[in-house]
Amino acid sequence: MTDREITKGQCHCGAVQFEGKGPIMGVDACHCATCRQLNGGPYMGVRFHNGITLTQSDSLKWYDSSAWARRGFCGDCGSSLLYNLKGTEFYAVSSGCIDMPAGMTIGQEGFIEEKPDFYDLAGEHTRLTGAEAFALFQKDNAQKDDDND
Amino acid sequence: MCRKWTGGAFLGVDYSAGGVEITESETLSWYDSSEWAQRGFCNRCGSSLFYRVKEDDSFMAICAGALEIPEGLSLQKEIFIDEKPDYYSFAGDQKTFTGAEFFASMQVEEEE
Repeated sequence: MTDREITKGQCHCGAVQFEGKGPIMGVDACHCATCRQLNGGPYMGVRFHNGITLTQSDSLKWYDSSAWARRGFCGDCGSSLLYNLKGTEFYAVSSGCIDMPAGMTIGQEGFIEEKPDFYDLAGEHTRLTGAEAFALFQKDNAQKDDDND
Repeated sequence: MCRKWTGGAFLGVDYSAGGVEITESETLSWYDSSEWAQRGFCNRCGSSLFYRVKEDDSFMAICAGALEIPEGLSLQKEIFIDEKPDYYSFAGDQKTFTGAEFFASMQVEEEE
């Protein structure tokens, strides 16, 4: 985690701008076919401890990428920006759209079974299949629900 | 630039003259990303699709995620390695170029 309070982010043309609030919780990569198709390559995203605020969003478009998630992109320049679990405050931000602090490394890779052969991310970190990633996510959320009780 | 646009690293497959035929393009938008290049994306779902050099119709790169990549391919080169953030690296022993080295290599190719 970083100790930044606000991290500014934007698309390439600047029509969509947002602020990440609180520390960055780490950067994760996803190799699922949907992420690769939308982003052109593996998805790398970060989450902020206190979520995000959109400060300029007239050109932000949302696309329903699955039954449970939607993706936000700039309708003017096409930058891939946001991943949101529908109906929740879970937002991940494409790491390319923010000024990433030095010293961060990839925390985990998801959907490793869908990764094509032609690239690999270097480094020692957790690599999960889609099923393992979903299971971990559900466990984390159950933990959070318990914490809130 | 590529990172801001795709959200991560750009992985592209190069095609040369006549190699790409766009068969459906109603929702294709082009964005002028620099003086010399344009990026093509789907304005319905936001998928990153194409990179083209404005004054060179003989070249188009396609985002690898949009293609079914045949087995046995591997990364050939990484460019603008000087702008790569610390938090990720690609494995492998492919060639790497700084932005300046890459532009220089393109010019040599043109002159040859």
